[in-house]
Amino acid sequence: MSNVTRDRLLFAAAIILAGIYLFPLYWMYITTIKSGSEMFATPPTFWPTDPQWQIFGNVWQGRNMGRYIWNSLVIACGAVSVIAVLGVGCAYVLARYRNIWVDIGLFLILMLQVLPASLMVTPIFVGFSQVGLLNYPRLAVILAIAAKSMPFFVVLVRATFMSVPQELEEAALVDGNSRVGAFFNIVLPLARNGILVSVILIFMQAFGEFVYSKSMIQAVELQPASVGLNSFMGPNTNEWNNIMAYAAIYVTPILAIFVLLQRRIVSGLTSGALK
Amino acid sequence: MTAQIELTNVNKYYGAYHALKDIELSIRKGSFTALVGPSGCGKSTLLRSLAGLESISSGTLKIAGEVMNAVPPRKRDVAMVFQSYALYPHMTVEENLTYSLRIKGVAKAERKKAANEVAAVTGLTHLLGRYPRELSGGQRQRVAMSRAIIRHPKAFLFDEPLSNLDAALRVHMRKEIRALHDRLGATSVYVTHDQVEAMTMADHVVILRDGIIEQQGSPLELYDRPANKFVAGFIGSPAMNFLPAIGGQDGQSIILDLGVKQTIAINRAVRPGQALSIGLRPEHIELAAPDQGALSAPVALVESTGATCFLTMATTPELSVVFNGRSGARAGDRVGLNFASGSIHLFDAATERRVPG
Repeated sequence: MSNVTRDRLLFAAAIILAGIYLFPLYWMYITTIKSGSEMFATPPTFWPTDPQWQIFGNVWQGRNMGRYIWNSLVIACGAVSVIAVLGVGCAYVLARYRNIWVDIGLFLILMLQVLPASLMVTPIFVGFSQVGLLNYPRLAVILAIAAKSMPFFVVLVRATFMSVPQELEEAALVDGNSRVGAFFNIVLPLARNGILVSVILIFMQAFGEFVYSKSMIQAVELQPASVGLNSFMGPNTNEWNNIMAYAAIYVTPILAIFVLLQRRIVSGLTSGALK
Repeated sequence: MTAQIELTNVNKYYGAYHALKDIELSIRKGSFTALVGPSGCGKSTLLRSLAGLESISSGTLKIAGEVMNAVPPRKRDVAMVFQSYALYPHMTVEENLTYSLRIKGVAKAERKKAANEVAAVTGLTHLLGRYPRELSGGQRQRVAMSRAIIRHPKAFLFDEPLSNLDAALRVHMRKEIRALHDRLGATSVYVTHDQVEAMTMADHVVILRDGIIEQQGSPLELYDRPANKFVAGFIGSPAMNFLPAIGGQDGQSIILDLGVKQTIAINRAVRPGQALSIGLRPEHIELAAPDQGALSAPVALVESTGATCFLTMATTPELSVVFNGRSGARAGDRVGLNFASGSIHLFDAATERRVPG
């Protein structure tokens, strides 16, 4: 078998696999604009005969999606800010000092990453209700998400900091800068890309977070879009096109960010890891 | 002739590891001092202690008369050129040069002027707008130097600045650094593992091994009167030959054993029967006809660069000889070897110290 045929076969396999992965996404978008009867037609249609574009406006209005998306944004931005401010400092220390305590710290951080949210939610709920945090449910969710995503962020950003040579910092010190000045002037600008990528990744996680929000936020007007989508679905739901429209509105911005930045995200993820 | 840098009884520990041991060093203002030694000898640690990047465990470190033991790097007013150059990748050449001035709060117009002046001296004028990644190795090296020069510091510290350059450029930059040093009248401390660099550039050479200063002095002093076998073997290329010998009965001669025992009269006092190691520099041995030299040995290898000829003798231990010109000798030939008794270095075999006289 020649190289060309082999390449073509592999390419075909890649296309098929990508098709399988992307099919649900395609189905979501296509179902959105189908009419009620077309949705349940057998055999199913792969392209709607009568696209219902007005459904997006209807769902946005009818489900009060603006409020849900706003809550999602508040929660995601809050969590990302907390993680970025605390995590960058933590990652820097873990990158620059090497001793047994740092190793233990890293191990614990990775351990935390193993625990699933659904396991952690009960103790967190009890703890938060003890200290009265549940009176500020969005803040409570922000803190819970921050605790959950912090390890991931710290591990990624630590790798970024490790790729910044220590000599640059030393040069800045000899050039007359302080430790703190050297960090903000030299290290932070050089680690910026890696930090940005990690921020985007945890933002996307936090934007779609469900378990903590569902259990801690009872008031409908404070719930994020993920919980809103869930409450849309009852046991006898059949308005799949509306649900799919909701989902489409919810994920399209995230998808767009990811597609626009995917080159940077992939290079940011591997640059620290390969060194 | 004031001392710009003074170290008294300096020690440095990393946990239990003793990296610098009782360092006594005085560096004259305006001098070029080379710290040289094999890797792991503590030369970089010593330099980093001068810069303040490492703290010393005990002793006193003075720069320009002030005790600097606990002073952070930014207040020491020394400039350092790193082995990797450590140029800030996100800044242009000009921003790299003027970074220290910016921190000091120098006005923008003045910074620009200073950058232009220094760039003119080091030939970087047309590169001021570039980023470090767009420069060649030699150009980066120049930027690193210029970044130090622009500050007019109390001392320049060089940490193996030439080791990343190719051989031809290294020889060129060697001269350039020395010329710059003379022009600026600066005090420079230069770390290298290359003894040729140390010998050619420095006024004062400090040889370190395992955190101890083995010997310090002018390059020729070290070459002519090495204090011990380590220094003797470290300075000079090709390295000095060492042959085992024992002190003669009259205390004025040595008995050399290269297969055949030979007595050589020597103008120094040795103990009869003392185990010795004699050092002979390859360039101090002359070839003679097979039966006319003080020694006679078969040739193992002849290497010629055209101007210089390197001979290796088939003896144990191996003897090497170097001389200018060419030789008709071929591998397997027997040749005579001559040397002046004054060019023999004598070391005690046990202590490895130089036998006085």
